[in-house]
Amino acid sequence: MTTDSPQDPAVAFTAATKTYGAVRAVDGLDLTVRQGETVALLGRNGAGKSTAIGLLLGLDEPDSGRVAVFGAAPDRAVAAGRVGAMLQEARPVSRVTVRELVGFVARTYPSPMPVDEALALAGLTGLAGRRVDRLSGGQTQRVRFAVALAGNPELIVLDEPTAALDVEARQEFWDSMRGYARRGNTVLFSTHYLEEADAYADRIVVLDSGRVLADGTGEELKRAAGGSLVSFDLAGGPTDWLGLLPGVTSFEVRGDRARLRTGDSDATVRALARRDAVRALEVAPVSLNDAFLALTRPPHATARTLETAR
Amino acid sequence: MITAYVRLEVRRTLRDPGFAISTVGVPVMMYLLFTNLGADDSAYRTAAMVGMAAYGALGAALSVGTGVAEDKSTGWLRQLRITPMTPRQVVTGRALTGTVVVLPAIAGVLLAGGLANGVRMDAWQWPAVALTLWLGSLPFTLLGIGNGYRLTAQTTGVVNVACNLGLAVVGGLWFPVALFPDWLRALSEATPTHRFAELGVAVTDGTAPAATALAVIAGWAALFGAYAAVSYRRSARAV
Repeated sequence: MTTDSPQDPAVAFTAATKTYGAVRAVDGLDLTVRQGETVALLGRNGAGKSTAIGLLLGLDEPDSGRVAVFGAAPDRAVAAGRVGAMLQEARPVSRVTVRELVGFVARTYPSPMPVDEALALAGLTGLAGRRVDRLSGGQTQRVRFAVALAGNPELIVLDEPTAALDVEARQEFWDSMRGYARRGNTVLFSTHYLEEADAYADRIVVLDSGRVLADGTGEELKRAAGGSLVSFDLAGGPTDWLGLLPGVTSFEVRGDRARLRTGDSDATVRALARRDAVRALEVAPVSLNDAFLALTRPPHATARTLETAR
Repeated sequence: MITAYVRLEVRRTLRDPGFAISTVGVPVMMYLLFTNLGADDSAYRTAAMVGMAAYGALGAALSVGTGVAEDKSTGWLRQLRITPMTPRQVVTGRALTGTVVVLPAIAGVLLAGGLANGVRMDAWQWPAVALTLWLGSLPFTLLGIGNGYRLTAQTTGVVNVACNLGLAVVGGLWFPVALFPDWLRALSEATPTHRFAELGVAVTDGTAPAATALAVIAGWAALFGAYAAVSYRRSARAV
């Protein structure tokens, strides 16, 4: 990761808004990605991830606000060959071999990496002579990755890069991606796999309804969502007092078991002990999964969120 | 950059077996069939050679648009937009691709005429006919590109086939215009395909192409060019 520098940020959204019909896909988005960072855009389907990516690649223009890539308009950064991207939902290009395709894309950039290097980074060396439209889903995905990095861009943008990959291919993919990021390049990827965001990004930006809901490391997000989960057996006792316990931000009752999300597990446990409500007591850190759900999901029937974590 | 793009797209086109069959195989076959069924008529064999070569070139030129529509639906055009190639370079590259992929069709039918049908012309006339047909196919490439950017992949395929057959038949590429009723002949005069073949036939006769033929083709080229430009601009945001 680069330290503070006078460089322009790799990506800067300033109050960017994009509307499709009645839907505000991106709604006043403010987000800055520094050069050299690896950032995950995390959100459910329809959270605005792909729209945000379309804006920063210059495929779309914001209705209002500003989007800048390396301090310039996105299409200028793209034309200068500073950006590479792997788009979602692309079907393979027909009647062309892997090497022809990657070689062609490389040639459109001012200072590409050698084609063999791009193929090796994407794990395609053995498939170079194969036709792209005759590869498996995972292999096609790797071709798209090779296409994204062939030009040796400083910023690489990956829209749900591992959606079609099995576990092993996913691991290989992230190894390649980390190799690329380690060269000082900026990586921005969207995903709805929390573990991926946690494991491979320096920073996680949670998007919901086109806005940044949370922004920080995995640890920070877990804290923001209420750092721990305290659970115990109710033994048929009442539940109305659970929300009043110190530190508790939300609670849920499943069967006879109360699950409390708390920002201060010590205080919560002490309070429970005073009431002697410690049957089968458990304290666990919230998973990023819990944190994500707490951040994005509106409370449902059996759970009440007392205070929206931010 | 454009050269690399044209090379890629030409490869992709030529690797499509359907392309080779419909733009080289079918015109050559139809040419040999039509000219060897009826009476032995060397003038007709020459005129039909030009007509069928023009037909093949027409199909090849329109197929560029079918390719555009396909690439739009697979996301390849979108991927191209995030390379340093400008959209204008992409369209230009496509048009240039059209000028390359019409060549096998023209060469195929001319070869069939010279080798199988014994068409005899002065040495200069062969390259001159090929060159004329080659240049004259540009308006049809523009028409195909216009369709490709404007319509969906399926619709483009259908519309291009309709354009291909309609323009070929009405333009007299399949059957001599002399066989047409008066009203159809009048209509035929206005088609770009008829004028396209007329240019080629003039070369085989050793005469200069008629000014009206050039004017009609130029008019259609301007119209199809504008159509391609408007379609492209309209779709640019959606691609």
